Amino acid sequence: MTLRELIDRHRVVIAAGSGGVGKTTVAASVALWGALGGRRTVVITIDPARRLADSLGLEMLGAGEREISLAGVAAEGGPPRGSLVALMLDQKGAWDALIERHAPADARARILANPFYQHLSQSFAGSHEYMAIEQLCVLVESGRFDLIVVDTPPTRHALDFLEAPRRIGDFLDRKIIRWFVRPYFSAGWSALRAMNRTAGFILRRLEQATGVSALAEISDFFSSMSELFENFQSRVDRAHEVLRGRETAFVLVSGPEEQVLGDAEYLSTKMAELRMPLKGVVLNRVHREFRPRGGRGLGGDVLGPEDAEQVAQVVARAMGGSGREARELAENFLDYQALARGESLRIEQFRIGLPRGVPVVQVPNFARDVHDLVTLAAMHPYLFGTGRAAA
Amino acid sequence: MRPSLLQRRLHFMVGKGGVGKTTVAAALALLLARRGRRTLAVEMDAVGRLPMLLGGRGVGYVPTEVAPGLHVLSIDGRAALEEYLGLIIPVKRLLTTVFSSKLYQYFVAAAPGLKELMTVGKIWYEATREEAGGLCWDAIVVDAPATGHSLQYLRMPQAAREAFGAGLVQREATKITGLLRDRRTTAIHLVTLAEEMPVTETLETRTQLVETLGLPLGFVVVNRVHRRRFSPGVLERLHATTAVPAAERALLACVAERATEENGWASINEAHLGRLRAGTGDAPLVELPFLFVEEFDHSCVEQLARRLEGEVGAGARSAARGSEGGAP
Repeated sequence: MTLRELIDRHRVVIAAGSGGVGKTTVAASVALWGALGGRRTVVITIDPARRLADSLGLEMLGAGEREISLAGVAAEGGPPRGSLVALMLDQKGAWDALIERHAPADARARILANPFYQHLSQSFAGSHEYMAIEQLCVLVESGRFDLIVVDTPPTRHALDFLEAPRRIGDFLDRKIIRWFVRPYFSAGWSALRAMNRTAGFILRRLEQATGVSALAEISDFFSSMSELFENFQSRVDRAHEVLRGRETAFVLVSGPEEQVLGDAEYLSTKMAELRMPLKGVVLNRVHREFRPRGGRGLGGDVLGPEDAEQVAQVVARAMGGSGREARELAENFLDYQALARGESLRIEQFRIGLPRGVPVVQVPNFARDVHDLVTLAAMHPYLFGTGRAAA
Repeated sequence: MRPSLLQRRLHFMVGKGGVGKTTVAAALALLLARRGRRTLAVEMDAVGRLPMLLGGRGVGYVPTEVAPGLHVLSIDGRAALEEYLGLIIPVKRLLTTVFSSKLYQYFVAAAPGLKELMTVGKIWYEATREEAGGLCWDAIVVDAPATGHSLQYLRMPQAAREAFGAGLVQREATKITGLLRDRRTTAIHLVTLAEEMPVTETLETRTQLVETLGLPLGFVVVNRVHRRRFSPGVLERLHATTAVPAAERALLACVAERATEENGWASINEAHLGRLRAGTGDAPLVELPFLFVEEFDHSCVEQLARRLEGEVGAGARSAARGSEGGAP
């Protein structure tokens, strides 16, 4: 299968990968491709920074949906034009909305002001990711879009995204929460003594270390929210269903650098373990290697530093002028050759470890910043073998 | 580079993912150790790349010597917390019970920023640790996680002071905040690329660090800078060549393409260096070159350390102006 067929056949495309590899740009480019092909498309990011807005050539991307005009790139008289919507998920807002929906009216204000809640909604590892998935489920169910492209957050480990439902499920495990909903915390020391000895001991020590308020706040939070957590597991299960569904394709985005490819390899292994369907790979910002074809006098089929003098001679013969210019040009060329050589060796290794039949495409390292629809469309020939934008 | 910045004891490297923070941290640590200072290079979130770049191997939860005067330490928030609780609960058997209980696991996950606080606390511990009447380390270089997370770590001591009631944690947090804010001791270096998004993020981070958190800014290190230039005249002549054998034509086209590519990056870099200069105030800008290598290894770190050294000797371009962050 090609990447093109892959995108055409799936409704949910999730771009995963470590930070700094151009994941946002690839996600935006894939979404643009879908829209130009006539699909009602949405691209989602939960990145509070301006990456997606930047790559779409927008000044800002507030919370909520924003329709992107295709006027500048759509071909005249082409296929029926689809639409493109960009959506930044506001994770704090999503948590607050959850509270609004599920918490008893009299407890809402107290919960929103609870420091523990604020921590959970802002910085609990996996919490942003979970909310993204939660909102993805809502979008999938709404039936408003034919193609949903998700730009996953730049987490230290892209895995946080994949594991978010499980993690938050563990975290909000009712058996554990029950501990915190008991009145020990508000009642103070005497009640603590009545607890199971080990638990009481641990809590006393933790309290001693962190101050009493932290535990009381956690307890208060869970007491007010117990209703919400009653059906939380079913929501987590639903999220898993969407992530593993037949309509969903994970596309791994990576760069050709050693460390980045290492992360990608690890991620691909982990995806298999978690039964998340890795269906395509995009290698971004790859340097191309020049391979002489039967070039007489130019060594074998590989050009390396040892050919510097020879390349300089060819250049000098062709353009005349000072030998210094020719040498500088040759040196620059061979510098890029070295980069490209290292990259292609690593990529070859990387491909061996991938599941069979997964399409791998390479996008060259454009010497320009990609941040408007025209430059996004310029990636299409590399991603899909052809373009859909107006020339 | 101002020598006064290098003389500080605690260095944090902060920057967006993928800009080469770890490499720059390794180069700075190597440079400091070469200058005869007992140096500790620290990686947070234990990944293991920093030891590798410095010629060591694996991940070490205790300081491990990788070169003369150069040690590496990996810190894991959870392990640091356990170490800390070990000080409060001296009985080993009880400690084991505590750590294996689900309630404890839960608390660690839930308590606001406890792991982050413990990680920074561990760095504080190393920064103030004494041995035989003197400080254990002359310099500590911390390879912080990607920006968002870094800020979370650096913010934590202050947040913890406010969030936790009177207790051990609050007392520790106060001490740590004091050290981080002390411009005689600490420098937060920003690492970036001279490209659109990294520069935007760097300028935002700078504002947060300086204005919101009140932390002392160090260098702005611009990594992977392209400098070569080929004049339009040269490229034209290269394109205009006609009477060449077919086999060479493909090669020449490629030589021209790479020269254009290099020009492209050089001008992108120059434009964004301009934005950085305009937006980073008095922080000295340090440029490191793009390295064209098949594989990035220890020898590349050596090369960057020498370049860093060179920049110190030359004095950073903007060091002459202003005095923020300068020597007392």
